[in-house]
Amino acid sequence: MNAIEIRNLTKAFGDKLAVNGLTMSVPEGAIYGFIGENGSGKSTTEKCICGLIQPSSGEIKLWGKDYRDQGARAQIGVLIEAPGCFPNYSVWNNMKLQAANLGIKNEDEEIRRVLHLVRMDGAASNKFKNCSLGMKQRIGIAFALLGNPKLLVLDEPINGLDADGMRIMREILLDLSHRGTSVLISSHILGELEKIATHYGIIRGGKMLREMTASELNANCPTYVALKTNETERARDILQQAYGRAEIDEQTGEVRVYGAYAEDVAKYLFGNFGIAVSEIRTAKISLEEYYVGLMQEGRR
Amino acid sequence: MENAKALQFEQPSFFQRLKGMLGVDFYRLFHTPLFYIFITIAAIIPALVSMGAMGEGETAGMFTNAWQIIAADSPLYVIHDMGEYANMNMVFIFGGIMVSIFIGHDYRSGYVKQLFTTHAKKEDYMISKTLVSAFSMVCMCFTYLIGGMIAGAATGLPFTVNAGSLLCAILGKMIMSLGWASLYTFINVIFRRKFGISIALCFVLGTGIPVIGAAALVGNTAALNIFLYGSSVQACLSSNFVSVVICLMNSVVWAVVYNVLGAVILYHRDVY
Repeated sequence: MNAIEIRNLTKAFGDKLAVNGLTMSVPEGAIYGFIGENGSGKSTTEKCICGLIQPSSGEIKLWGKDYRDQGARAQIGVLIEAPGCFPNYSVWNNMKLQAANLGIKNEDEEIRRVLHLVRMDGAASNKFKNCSLGMKQRIGIAFALLGNPKLLVLDEPINGLDADGMRIMREILLDLSHRGTSVLISSHILGELEKIATHYGIIRGGKMLREMTASELNANCPTYVALKTNETERARDILQQAYGRAEIDEQTGEVRVYGAYAEDVAKYLFGNFGIAVSEIRTAKISLEEYYVGLMQEGRR
Repeated sequence: MENAKALQFEQPSFFQRLKGMLGVDFYRLFHTPLFYIFITIAAIIPALVSMGAMGEGETAGMFTNAWQIIAADSPLYVIHDMGEYANMNMVFIFGGIMVSIFIGHDYRSGYVKQLFTTHAKKEDYMISKTLVSAFSMVCMCFTYLIGGMIAGAATGLPFTVNAGSLLCAILGKMIMSLGWASLYTFINVIFRRKFGISIALCFVLGTGIPVIGAAALVGNTAALNIFLYGSSVQACLSSNFVSVVICLMNSVVWAVVYNVLGAVILYHRDVY
């Protein structure tokens, strides 16, 4: 069973289609990286799942039940944009209010637990308005974790977090995932997402462009040899002929050759054509590169 | 798959949900300076009204009895002077402003976003806000009453009244708080973050201008009691048990109507 199952979801704001026939599924226990450009429909989709906005059409199911089912809703932890806290109340009191709305018993114990998880124990008595952006994000995550939900919907939760905050976030999500909690997480910080996601959904213009598992992404992200030489274009042409795929990375000025070994490439260029290689390394296409490539492909 | 089978969903009961939400709303009410500011304003209004009555301007001599600061002598919808208008009904004007700020803050802070992603139901929200707002207006009625008695004593006017009628008038107006609170909650649910519009609309409706205008056209008729302002006027110094029943019926019926309409709107519109 999938934690989230969406079929042909459409959401229009006036004439503008924010989500256009989106279909996606988040398996139980998965950390689903939801990726897309600004305005691609990620937040709208997440708000639909959470019941904050009404879909124009389509179907959303949570563990096979309609997303409006109160029992299912009680199992969701949410962080959409910023946490909805009263600025003049302390962090603790804000959390007490949310715990009451969730109907949590032993709320003091639960609040202490989640604040400890995000390392915000010391900030409990701070007024929310006095917290920094990073602290607010951590508190937002603590909000989402209240009541030990079975599904987390997190919209840009890493934004504003420092390196330690990101590490903590990563540890929490991996731990929850191991315990069977499903996580839908959208983020533009793809490098961080790549470290934790088990599944990916790439959205563009409100439509699902590609949905895949981490291993499928891995297969789509080949290793390559990157080299630097004084004769970049000549080297690219030669390697293109020899290995079938070679290109120049415009940002670094490196020549990239796919499906080759670094030692062979260096020997081939120098031995046969006298082209000296100053630097050579083996690397792998990152999620970010894959995503950017996919987006450029889409634009073409 | 095993996890999926193990998942069991408990449906929190209506009372469990409402208890949590009321707890939150009452906590917020007692922890916001807004509440204390408005109950203080309610206590000061009678003093301002009586000061006008004791002056030498047009309003001088508008009261002949100190209890008229609390309620008019008879249910008059066609207003001739401020003395027939300036009484405990003014609580409902200021109550509207308070409710608009209180609920508007739910939207500005993002609290509704946090709330409606839980198992909270939209009708629970309407009920909880209505009850808490009604409670705050009842508190304002109390402080108005105390302020009115002090101001009445200061004017030196006689406290002449039938105790039963006075009790029915006060009780009637307090009961009307429920209906007014539901109207104000409904207006705020419609305008959400645009709480400036909510405040203006609540103010206009709270003054009873539409009903006073209608009365100017159709005359002093009991038919106007079907409106919240009409029944609030009905609770006067000549009221009896029947007036209280009318207020109760009117208040409850409008509260149900506005709560149902508010819940329908919340269910069919984007919340945040």
